[in-house]
Order: sequence, then C-alpha cells, then structure tokens
Amino acid sequence: MFLMCTGITLAWRDIPTKLIRKYQLEERMIQRSETADKEILFLQRHRQPLLPVFYQGELQILPWGNRQRNRNAPLAWWCEVSTLESGAWSIYHPEPVEIQANFGLERGVWFQIREGIQGTIIHDQHEQPYVYLLLQPASHYYQVMTGYHREPVFLGEQI
Amino acid sequence: MGTSLIGHIDADCFYVSCERIRSYSLRGVPCGVLGNQGACVIAKSYELKPYGVKTGHPIWEAKKLCPHAVFVKRDFRWYEVISRKLLELLKTVSPLVEYYSIDEMFFDASELSRYFQLPLQAANRALQTLVQEQIGIPVSIGIAPSRTLAKLGSDASKPFGVRVIEKECEPFLRSQPVGELCGVGSRSAKKLRDRNIHTCWDYRQADRLMIRNLLTIKGEALWWELRGDAVNSIQTSRPPHKAIARGGSCGGKTMDPDRIRAWAVRNIERLIEALDHHRVYAGHISLQIDANKTALWLGRTPLAVPSASFRTIYDAAMPMLAAAPTSHPVSHMHIIAENLTWRDKIQKSLFFEEAQSPLDQLKHDINQKLGRFAIRSAETLPLHEIYHDATHNYDICDISGKMCF
Repeated sequence: MFLMCTGITLAWRDIPTKLIRKYQLEERMIQRSETADKEILFLQRHRQPLLPVFYQGELQILPWGNRQRNRNAPLAWWCEVSTLESGAWSIYHPEPVEIQANFGLERGVWFQIREGIQGTIIHDQHEQPYVYLLLQPASHYYQVMTGYHREPVFLGEQI
Repeated sequence: MGTSLIGHIDADCFYVSCERIRSYSLRGVPCGVLGNQGACVIAKSYELKPYGVKTGHPIWEAKKLCPHAVFVKRDFRWYEVISRKLLELLKTVSPLVEYYSIDEMFFDASELSRYFQLPLQAANRALQTLVQEQIGIPVSIGIAPSRTLAKLGSDASKPFGVRVIEKECEPFLRSQPVGELCGVGSRSAKKLRDRNIHTCWDYRQADRLMIRNLLTIKGEALWWELRGDAVNSIQTSRPPHKAIARGGSCGGKTMDPDRIRAWAVRNIERLIEALDHHRVYAGHISLQIDANKTALWLGRTPLAVPSASFRTIYDAAMPMLAAAPTSHPVSHMHIIAENLTWRDKIQKSLFFEEAQSPLDQLKHDINQKLGRFAIRSAETLPLHEIYHDATHNYDICDISGKMCF
C-alpha cells in the first residue's frame, strides 16, 4: 500500500441526507467529543474507499482511486502533480475536482483542512469516475508535523 | 494614573479560540495549535487538556495521548487581528487599557458599572458577553482593587468565568497556592514554602520586610497588591526596551555550518527590522547559542558606534559565531541588541560609518513595498524551506506594543 494522506473527514451536516443513505455513510460517523460536530470518515483502508467531491456543480460521493485491473484507469490512489503536469495521464483525460474535507489524516496525525484539497477525476471505459488525490512534495512544516514527505495540494492554504 | 478598580481580561485557550472563529468545524474538537516548526504544541483546547497533552509536548507524543485530536498550524497574523480587536473593544468600555500580552489585558474597571448600567458583577458578565458576541472568543475576567488580585481572579475563574474580588478576600486567597501568583516562579515558591508560606493568604499575612529580603522589592510589591493596594499601575504604552532579541529554534538540531550561518544572518535581518521599528540603534551585540535548550555559548561584542547597519552587526556577530564550539548540534540561537540608543539622540561622527547605510535603507524600502524578506542576504539560501512558507515571516515577537512576550 502507498503511504499518503490516508483519510479525511467531512462534517455530517455538509453531506445531503440522500447521499448518506445511498452510500450508508452512517456507519462511518464519528464524533471527537460530545460537543463536537459529527463527521463522516473517508479512509483509504475502507472496504469501499470513497471521497466527497464537488463535481459538476454538486457534492458527490465517488470511488477513491481504482483497484480493478480490468478498468481503463490508473491503479492508484493518488497522482503526483508533476506527473499530471508532465502529461503522463493525459490519455485518461483527467478533470480537476475539489475534494471536500474538514480534517485530514497522515501517519496518525489529524490536521485541519480549511477549504479542501485538489483532486483529479478519471472515467474508465464504462464512464465510471474515479477520484485521485493530487500530491506534491511536503513543505517543511507538513513534514515535521506528520513525518511524511508528500502532502496533498490544499486549496487556498499552505501547511 | 491611579484607579480604584483594575480588571484583567484573559482569553481562554486564545490561539484555539481564534482558529474556531474562522473554522466552525473545530468547535468542541480536542485541538492543539502547533508552533513555528510544526513539532510542538503551543496551545491546546480545553477538550485536549484531559488527555494529558501539555504546552510544549512534541506532536509525536501528543498524537499518542489523544489519537483523535486535530492539530492546526499557527497563524500569528490572524491571532494579532483578533487580539487587536479585543484591545479596541476594551478601549470603548474603559479609559485605560494595558496591552499586556497577545491574550491578556489590564483595564481600568472603575467605570464599568456605569458603562453597562449594572452592578459590578453583572457588568463584568456583560463585558464577557460583549466580547463573545462581537469578537467570538471566550474570555475570563477578574476585577479587583489591584492587578495581582485581578489576575488571580481571572485565572481562578477559567474557563469562561468572571469574578469580582474585594479587598477583604480571605477565603479566596486561602484557596490560591502561592505559585499561582504572577511573578512567583518555582524557585521563589520553594523559598516561600520553606518559610511555611503556602497560600496567597499566608503571603499576605507574612512579615513585609521578610518578604522583601526574600523576594526583593518585586516580592514586596506583590505583598501590597495582595492587600488590595495597587502598587503596579496600568501602563498604556510599553516602556522602552532595554534589549531586543530575535531568534529561536533552528528548525531542529544542526551541525551544518552553512545552516547555522544562515540562521544567524536571518536573525540579524529580523533584529535590524525590529531596531528600525523601535527607532533605536544597538550599542552591543550578543550571540547566544543553545544545544537542547541549554546555553552552549554566549558572546558579546561592543559596537564602535550605535548602529543598525547590517554590515556592522554582521561583522560583530559572525566572529562570535566562528568562535563558538562546534562539538554540539545547535538547537536554538538568539542575537541580542543591547545598550539601545534612540535614533534622534545619537552623536554624529566624522570617523565611523553611518548608523545605517544607503543599502540598508534601500533594502528596508523594498521589503516594505514588496513584502518581508523580498530582499535578503544570499547567506540565508540554505533555509529555502523556511522562506518558501510565508507564515514563517511573522512571529509572536513581531506583534508590537504588548508588555510581555
């Protein structure tokens, strides 16, 4: 398994009820204290890894990366920004997408995400979409905080 | 100016509260704010405290103590915005306000009742509500005849409490250990304990001259203050600095001479900015190098004439750095300007370099216009990761006007 940002959470109140029901997200609900907001966990190690994304004008819950070899989409969870910029994934026609998140998890450290993180969407031959996290070399601060040398591309902030 | 009542307002877990203003999702969450390098917890929420996480804990220990805690990168610019809003709000309700620290202020509370048209305790609560509504941070407030009692009152009522302390307050002082007093550190507390002084009431009842012999005139001032006699007044402007220092962590221990020099040059440039801000020149330059927070080496060089010139301070600091032992990895470094002289009180000289060269002035002007460190010494290049992150350009010591760090 690749080591990377291994999970995120999004506030329960930010996810429409129909999506919570459709994807049975109640099972993923956590609350960090009695007075804290309820959150929905999206972990890479979930049996069905998902990510909440703002795509085509609405919040959608889409598969996180691709695990199936028979699909015409990269077998990965994430994509390095430099790889995307080099055009190596252009045959998959990647589209930019905003991954909605309040908190991220890296090597056991939960950190705040102010606006969200950048991702890319790729559709396979059956038009099934897959979301990939965009990663970049970690800043000094992020590296000290989490102990990992890659970080997600955050929207509107630098950690 | 003397006042009959002094208030002390103290923001509850200030950095976390500031973050919660702009991030609703942090409310109720066990939360820690991380320091300049992202390694240590510098502030924690009340939800995090029960897990045993303390200020100064490294994150790798904190995450074990509370695996579901959320950690936030510090943002001193934002904290200053909130701090100054609090200061401005207080100035609307009080004629005298002292900017004690980023999250603590003293104020003249003698007109508070009249301002809110309420009895004092209710007026105190009304001020707390006003701060909560207008700024969005929880505060605790103590009001008393002296600063020391007011601070004891606010500290004892945390979190989100208010307390009015009368001059005669024996039960309250009996409940407060002497170590709670601002100005009584662990060494002083031990000296007092050795003389059977355990509580603030014991301190107040002790012989004044014995306290003075034991803890100097500052200890005696506390003795008066605990009796409700205001010795230390509210100061609305900061007294001139005796010394100005810039420095801190070197981003982890290092023995790399290029990085150590780069940190020294960065600290010199920050020091010159501070000297410019306070309109003073330095007469002496000191360099302190720490290994594992223990002073490893300290050098001091007098300048030929008071100066805030990069070249002069560099030429004073670098030989000291070269003379420092290289056997231990350096963890912290400070460059200190002492023997300060106001810029308009300086004696002109025919024989020495100007206190600041045209190049210094040009660098200052460009950085004022384009942003801090837009122009900096090439010797700082080994610290590219520090300059790459703009949040490193603003530290707590850059927030001016407050009385203490």
